[in-house]
Amino acid sequence: CVLRGCVPKKLLVYASKYSHEFEESCGFGWKYAAEPEHDWSTLIANKNAEIQRLTGIYKSTLKNAGVELIEGRGKIVDPHTVDVDGKLYSAKNILISVGGRPFIPDIPGSEYVVDSDAALDLPSKPKKIAIVGGGYIAVEFAGIFNGLQSDVHVFIRQKKVLRGFDEEIRDFVGEQMLLRGIEIHTEQSPQAIIKSSDGSLSLKTNKGTIDGFSHIMFATGRKPNTKNLGLESVGVKLKENGAIEVDEYSQTSVPSIWAVGDVTDRINLTPVALMEGGALAKTLFANKPTKPEYRAVPSAVFSQPPIGQVGLTEEQAIKEYGDVDVYTANFRPLKATLSGLPDRIFMKLIACAKTDKVLGLHICGEDSPEIIQGFAVAVKAGLTKADFDATVGIHPTAAEELVTMRTPTRKLRRTPSEGKTDSEFKAAAGV
Amino acid sequence: MARKMLIDGELEKPNEEKTQYDFDLFVIGAGSGGVRASRFSAQYGAKVGICELPFHPISTEVIGGVGGTCVIRGCVPKKILVYGASFGSELEDARGYGWELNERIDFNWKKLLLKKTEEIVRLNGIYKRMLANAGVKLFEGEGKVVGPNEVEVNQLDGTKISYSAKHILIATGSRAQRPAIPGQELAITSDEALSLEELPKRAVILGGGYIAVEFASIWRGMGASVDLCFRKELPLRGFDDEMRAVVARNLEGRGVNMHPRTTLTELVKTEDGIKVRTDHGEELLADVVLFATGRTPNTKRLNLEAVGIELDKNGAVKVDEYSRTNIPSIWAIGDVTDRMNLTPVALMEGTCFAKTVFGEQPSKPDYSHVPCAVFCIPPLSVVGLSEEQAIDQANGDVLVFTSTFNPMKNTISGRQEKTVMKLVVDGETDKVLGASMCGPDAAEIIQGIAVALKCGATKAQFDSTVGIHPSAAEEFVTMRSVSRRIAAGKPKNNL
Repeated sequence: CVLRGCVPKKLLVYASKYSHEFEESCGFGWKYAAEPEHDWSTLIANKNAEIQRLTGIYKSTLKNAGVELIEGRGKIVDPHTVDVDGKLYSAKNILISVGGRPFIPDIPGSEYVVDSDAALDLPSKPKKIAIVGGGYIAVEFAGIFNGLQSDVHVFIRQKKVLRGFDEEIRDFVGEQMLLRGIEIHTEQSPQAIIKSSDGSLSLKTNKGTIDGFSHIMFATGRKPNTKNLGLESVGVKLKENGAIEVDEYSQTSVPSIWAVGDVTDRINLTPVALMEGGALAKTLFANKPTKPEYRAVPSAVFSQPPIGQVGLTEEQAIKEYGDVDVYTANFRPLKATLSGLPDRIFMKLIACAKTDKVLGLHICGEDSPEIIQGFAVAVKAGLTKADFDATVGIHPTAAEELVTMRTPTRKLRRTPSEGKTDSEFKAAAGV
Repeated sequence: MARKMLIDGELEKPNEEKTQYDFDLFVIGAGSGGVRASRFSAQYGAKVGICELPFHPISTEVIGGVGGTCVIRGCVPKKILVYGASFGSELEDARGYGWELNERIDFNWKKLLLKKTEEIVRLNGIYKRMLANAGVKLFEGEGKVVGPNEVEVNQLDGTKISYSAKHILIATGSRAQRPAIPGQELAITSDEALSLEELPKRAVILGGGYIAVEFASIWRGMGASVDLCFRKELPLRGFDDEMRAVVARNLEGRGVNMHPRTTLTELVKTEDGIKVRTDHGEELLADVVLFATGRTPNTKRLNLEAVGIELDKNGAVKVDEYSRTNIPSIWAIGDVTDRMNLTPVALMEGTCFAKTVFGEQPSKPDYSHVPCAVFCIPPLSVVGLSEEQAIDQANGDVLVFTSTFNPMKNTISGRQEKTVMKLVVDGETDKVLGASMCGPDAAEIIQGIAVALKCGATKAQFDSTVGIHPSAAEEFVTMRSVSRRIAAGKPKNNL
């Protein structure tokens, strides 16, 4: 999170957003004598200084809490013993929280590929970059490099980016990315990377070869860091992808050994890891067995424009609840009417037709992540569409749209059924 | 004076249900409240007529425009100017992120004004279309109440036409007031400020409310020198004291010259500009002096007294919980009733009015937990009770949680401007009584918080919500330590 994830990612997103802001500002009367230019090395140097500072703060935080920090590589010897670079430590309980690392498939030329770690520390800005992957990391880096004026090409296996997200959000963010000049190559699987004599890279996929990349980045998933930790010999059960199997209290198959965070591959988000850690501490030392709660966990993708979401996608809601009302808004924000840029905001609220509970919220547009947080409190608390509507809006904002959605865009009803497995839906006309 | 004939030509019989009116509803004023009430009433099947003064960005007693203050000379143009001004500091901050920009970046005020005007004209057109699409009949002219069921519209050509209506709704809003200071004619109000020909190099602002504070930020953000004079120790009286102090500190940090406990005594025109004297004997020179000392309800020319409609001492129309005046067929909503002068509240009042009168669902607007925002730079947004109000109203102890931090973006740009976020909690029930924030995106963040608060969410519910990372908003769900606990029965201070 601090060194090579959330924090540096967000700083680079901030840096890359400015190019869009320069464009926007022209519509508001600002005028540049010359096109602003970006110096990559200044950004990386400042970014590195900041993450150093944060590392220092984390160290102090541990120290102030009386935690002994030992630098070295830890390995499990037995249910109560850890080996750190040759020195043995015994412990009543052992917690494994070694996280995950980027995964790059083993294809010809993969040694020329950079992952997200390296992408955050490149010696120079890419001129033309291929990003292989359709998840949040790929999409965020596409926005970053595009904003810093690189020529960006994204290669995805699917038809749209962000598999698993609400379908309309996937469509919307894809459109917005195209409008910003990012090229998305769909239904392509990487097969090889070829380095040419002039140093440029080519990417060969099932559909052909594209040349001329200065960099090729793979954002093709992350795998738990469980290799060579001594887990198998001590009897800690792992899943197929190497993640540590844990129960609801984060306990592994060995009673004195526990695991939290990305290494358990539950919901791989910093605030969730924080929740899992907090719950474990309560369970082990506050005499309050506490299970982390995974319902209605909000999250964001810092694409440009960004996405904020909480609760179920429309597809999940239909599956779980059957009858749902879907409210959507797709509008040009006030800023865009003046900037003249094609920026838009998309918002979707999904309510259970029977109970009126808000099942999911999905928004894509400027400030979406900040907007969603407060609404996540409401969704987690089980509030209804009527509760949303009873809340007065703050004007002028984008967020007020979520409390002023009067007419369902579509009302989905399970047809009166022949069988429980029959799930045909018809969209009734909105009121 | 021409009198429109009643369609049936029937003699009016007192208490006769079958009286034919020209309209079921006649609305005077096509601003936020009036347009909402008209459209929703029409949707319930009412025959609706509405009148509005002719359009111009600067209002007078006889000039206004469809869309009202919000669209033409309030919320919308204000926000546009705030966006314009915010770019100034954003561009400065870009340097820390590696962007190479010229020392000076030119700002063309005239261009911004032109685009602002284009936008408000466009919205004015949209509002007219909305009325037409709802089947509401729009009349241009000045409306007056002539009787419990009669409105007279003074048209642009001077002719007056009377319309009879089963119900009359007054939604004429408010206008900026000008204090009676010698030389006051040299000063402008927010109307003119939103349409100035030139960007002032030196601005003096009298007032401590949100309008004064917003203009201070706007002009300062565009490079002007700004002096803000206000009567109290801090601006934004009525808001949480801690947050008021944060706003003041930020304004100062951005280079606004703050003059607390100050009012202006005289304005004099000189060759070098307007000479402004304060009650401390200070003299300031200004290109523009802005009076932002409050707004008064637009009731003077409506003939209300003649009809017997009760007004309060400020000239606001007195209404009951259903927005009904003391005359059963006459109602009033929006700024003219001086309840909570916010567009979304006027919308709420209009909606409830339509439901009550035509939707057969008597509905009272609910004024509890109404969130709002002040678009200074960075903005302030609040919902629920301030710390002072909570101490006053809570039965038990009040717990205050605060988070003060330099936002992530500033760590690289080098800007020293702390964001402050605050939750006020009832010690007994754990209910979150109030939330406030001063920092970038505050208004966008508080909207969702307001939904939770309105429904009585507890601190525990806030805490059980996982944060979104990295964001500023996540601070609201991760405030673990109490900053202070105020025991029940503690007296409050007035700043």
